[in-house]
Amino acid sequence: MSTVFNLPVYGAGILLAAAAALTLYGQPDLDQKWGFMAAEYGARLENREVYVDPGELLQRMNDDYIELIIFDLREERDWNIFHLVDSERVSINDLPAQRDRLRNLSELSVVVLVSNDEILSTRAWKHMMALAKPNVYILEGGINHWLNVYGVKHEEQDDHAAASLDRPDGSLRHPFKYALGARHAAAQPDEHHVPQREYTEKVRLLKKIARAGGCG
Amino acid sequence: MAPYDLAGTLGVTGSYLVYLGIGFGFGFILESSGFGDGRKLAGQFYFSDLSVLKVIFTAIVVAMLLIFWSTALGLLDYDDILVNETWLWPGIVGGLIMGVGFVVGGYCPGTSLVSVATLKIDGMFYVLGLFVGVLAFNETIEHLDAFWRSSYLGRFTLPELFELETGVVVFLLICLAIVMFIGFGWIQQLIYGKKDPE
Amino acid sequence: MNKLSENVKYWNPYVGGVLLGILLFLSFYVAGHGLGASGGINRIAVAVEDMVVPEHVDKSPYLAPLAGGDIDPLNNWIVLEVAGVMLGGFVSGLLRGRVRLQTYRGPQITPRTRWLFAFAGGVLMGYGARMARGCTSGQALSGGAVLSVGSWAFMFAVFAGGYALAWFVRRLWQPGA
Repeated sequence: MSTVFNLPVYGAGILLAAAAALTLYGQPDLDQKWGFMAAEYGARLENREVYVDPGELLQRMNDDYIELIIFDLREERDWNIFHLVDSERVSINDLPAQRDRLRNLSELSVVVLVSNDEILSTRAWKHMMALAKPNVYILEGGINHWLNVYGVKHEEQDDHAAASLDRPDGSLRHPFKYALGARHAAAQPDEHHVPQREYTEKVRLLKKIARAGGCG
Repeated sequence: MAPYDLAGTLGVTGSYLVYLGIGFGFGFILESSGFGDGRKLAGQFYFSDLSVLKVIFTAIVVAMLLIFWSTALGLLDYDDILVNETWLWPGIVGGLIMGVGFVVGGYCPGTSLVSVATLKIDGMFYVLGLFVGVLAFNETIEHLDAFWRSSYLGRFTLPELFELETGVVVFLLICLAIVMFIGFGWIQQLIYGKKDPE
Repeated sequence: MNKLSENVKYWNPYVGGVLLGILLFLSFYVAGHGLGASGGINRIAVAVEDMVVPEHVDKSPYLAPLAGGDIDPLNNWIVLEVAGVMLGGFVSGLLRGRVRLQTYRGPQITPRTRWLFAFAGGVLMGYGARMARGCTSGQALSGGAVLSVGSWAFMFAVFAGGYALAWFVRRLWQPGA
């Protein structure tokens, strides 16, 4: 009788030990989770498949068919100086809070991540893939490159010298005269008055995988 | 990382075969555990038979450990699996009603299917009742719509609620299960004076 | 019909629990979600209703997403799973000689009484499962395993409801006093 009684006790002990070990081992954070996914999705970064040219982003900003969401990952100070019209400022640490929204995006949704260079936006891209695998892209060259292309001379202090992209450090290297946020001309370039750019189209609309589940 | 796109990989028919198989396992385990018998199930509420408690909580604990060890090791994507969204009060009220239905009818929907499959007439009447019940709900819920859609908390998990790590929550739930097993066993012994053979 | 002697033929509940837990995990791993039952019942009920009064189904905001227009409510994983549950239960019962046309009931009541209360219990369950958006399989087991707050609240409510009513319906189940 005593041996029969011991079995559930051993079982309970094993389960508790497994749970204790689980607590010590911990659940993966977003960077670690990306580590598990990198083999499958990392190529998209290496092959530059998800980096979109400023010209393509401009075209998408004027595309009524899609639902464009621009996440600006930068600090508030840079945001106040200049940001793209209709973009949303989201700190990288606040991305998990966007999880449910990202998972429920329509098939017509396109998310573009923006930072001064590509450092922050690329890390955010990895986090977003770990969170929700949405249809997400990165602005190539970041805001610095965007302003090289679409910046307006008289709004910048040094007469709109092109910012160097060789040694990106995540800083905004276009000194503006005034912090006008999205009210700068370059925040919403008029596509009919800026030079046409040639680029490889990267943005595609993805077919949503129907997620089954739910008993009710 | 799991989960994978089942229909995409196996085709719709293939995925349906998988679901059939999963259901088969479910029904087989339920029947083998005696849950095709309403008396055994109802016994839970009289402390004469604690199988319902043991099966449910053991299953949850085992599944929890397997799931969260898999997510920890990068084998399973926790963000990709379905976590039932919380509508707090409809869930509680519905649960209370179901509890009453459980002790009155002797089955829950899953076990009633097993009962019908083994030709138990009480199970058949129960399933008939199920159909009437869902019909009644579907046709009358418009009047309670505001309530049914109330207290929506979205995908809300216990670690988020208690601001504890997942592993800690799992550990505490196992402790809870153990306490319940022992506690209910004592009550059983108190009422019936016999030691639980398990 | 000694209840204790029948218990010997059934699996130890801890064994059943472990196996069920493994199955539940596999379901999440392979399909990304857990088990279910009441959803399948609902879909079958809606399918029948759609055959009888399709225009009504099309207009109801609760039914149209499931069966409005050309949508087939039976074209869903949970219907297949429900079919599997019945198959699995049948095979298990067959292997052990438990497939028999009979009525399981407490010793104090007649089969007819049992049928009445089984029906009543089913009605309550069907209604409650829709209200709670799941049942013990879908909410308690599956939602519980992935730590959903609503599922755990639901589970405790089910136990509470059952225990609260148990004394009042004890004649359905208890041996004569």
